Amino acid sequence: MNSFWNGKRRYVALLLFLAGVFVALEVPPVIPFIQLPGENLPSGYNIPFTDMRITNTLVAAVIVWILLLLFLAYIARRRPKDGSEVPPGGFYNMFEALYEGLMGFISGIAGGAHFRLIFNMFMTIFLIVLLSNWMSLIPGIDTVGFIHAHTKEKYDPATEEYKVITTDGYEIYQGFLGISYVNGQCDWISPADEAAADEAALANAEAVRLAAIDELAVKVAYARYQASHDGHGDDATEEGAGGHGDDDHAEEAGDSDEASAAYDEVLAAREAEKQARRDRDCYTGVAISPWEDGYEPSGKDEKKEPIPLHPDPGSAEAKRVPWVVLPLVRVASTDLNMTLTLAIIAVVMVQYVGVKALGIGYLTKFFNFGTLFKSPLGGIDVAVGLLELIGDFAKILSFSFRLLGAMFAGAILLFVMSFLVPILPWPFFILEFFVGAIQALVFALLTAIFMNLATISHHHDDDHDHAEAH
Amino acid sequence: MDPQSTIILGKAIGAGLAMIGAAGGGIGIGLSVGGAVQAMGRNPDHTPTIQTNMILGVAFAEAVAIYALVVSLIILFVLN
Repeated sequence: MNSFWNGKRRYVALLLFLAGVFVALEVPPVIPFIQLPGENLPSGYNIPFTDMRITNTLVAAVIVWILLLLFLAYIARRRPKDGSEVPPGGFYNMFEALYEGLMGFISGIAGGAHFRLIFNMFMTIFLIVLLSNWMSLIPGIDTVGFIHAHTKEKYDPATEEYKVITTDGYEIYQGFLGISYVNGQCDWISPADEAAADEAALANAEAVRLAAIDELAVKVAYARYQASHDGHGDDATEEGAGGHGDDDHAEEAGDSDEASAAYDEVLAAREAEKQARRDRDCYTGVAISPWEDGYEPSGKDEKKEPIPLHPDPGSAEAKRVPWVVLPLVRVASTDLNMTLTLAIIAVVMVQYVGVKALGIGYLTKFFNFGTLFKSPLGGIDVAVGLLELIGDFAKILSFSFRLLGAMFAGAILLFVMSFLVPILPWPFFILEFFVGAIQALVFALLTAIFMNLATISHHHDDDHDHAEAH
Repeated sequence: MDPQSTIILGKAIGAGLAMIGAAGGGIGIGLSVGGAVQAMGRNPDHTPTIQTNMILGVAFAEAVAIYALVVSLIILFVLN
């Protein structure tokens, strides 16, 4: 395998570059649809036997767990059992080098009596966060998913009901095997513009009809005038006034054939324009409001499921609605649920290792009433303890928001850069590679450091334990 | 100006103002990395210790900038 690819990898890179150019020319970039909470997958993708909906960030988290388990199984299998000194090489060797490096790194920081516990926690968090951060670099993640109408639901307090608001976007192309995607043949549409175009066509048709009628009336009047001119010129005005009733008749007669034909022609042109777009397989669907079919929202804040693709997009009642993609997999660390869970686990483990190391006396870090009546500055100790308590809750916030902010901003950066420079978003992928690694390291390292700090008594008795490590 | 445009205008201005906070994080990171690099240059033997503390300090300084970022993201994408 290796000998086959030696020297040929550059062609793979070239091929990928050409594919990127082709895709950038063929497929117009989609306006990124940005939503902070994880999006619900459509109904039918519930957790089995429950009504609970799965978010696409949960899918990513499950993939991370499965990958980690497979990874650990692989590492355990490849590990030399007989304690041989022969380096196994390859991926296993790389992981071993990383593991040993990190082990030395952590033993320099927290190499005390609780090193094993701290290092296990460090490595677990590091691997989970690293894998879920790096998932944003895999093609298809954040881009492949379900296509649904780009609509927003707004609660209208005046009428006390939800309204579906459609917004601008690309219509979709339904191509090979019924797979829908956005394609260069399909236009950017906005429902407001479409409605305006319909209205303009109607007005234009009406104007054309009136013009045809006027023209007809002028013709009739001219014929009448000529006829009267030939005979008795003096009575021409009287004839015109008297003949007005006849003109009305002529108008009606003209309305029934020529004028209405012109009217129909304009509308048919508009209809043909719409049909041409349908013939190019550019579909829109009908925006079915979930509330029209007897659907009762149970609460104002209930999350609505995406409006489904109409079964027959070419049908006459199909309204023109733009579509957006609901990704099947979205990077897990862009969801606050994931980062908050990890942060709570980390801070709980900090308290656990503190109690384990110092016993119940660890709690005097927070509730330090021992010196309150003994020394004149005892009140300060109480206040400092309470500040420590607040600080530990702030740790949860800072852990979770640091990771969420960095990764969500990175995801938006990748979206927007793929939108602006479809051929060359690579530098930003490299940037995201480093940001993901650094954020994973920072999260795990801070956990390790806080855990180590918790094992050190603030009564400066066993500080030498810490000093020895350095 | 119609209400929708006013809302968008307010969101954009608010998000931009919130990101001013990122300047503090940048200054902090620059100062700490600058100091760490100087220290490493003078005392290369202590690079691992300095690097650890530098990453910690950078993480804390960056956290403040990221709070600003989260606030502006919330203004842009969550507020209605």
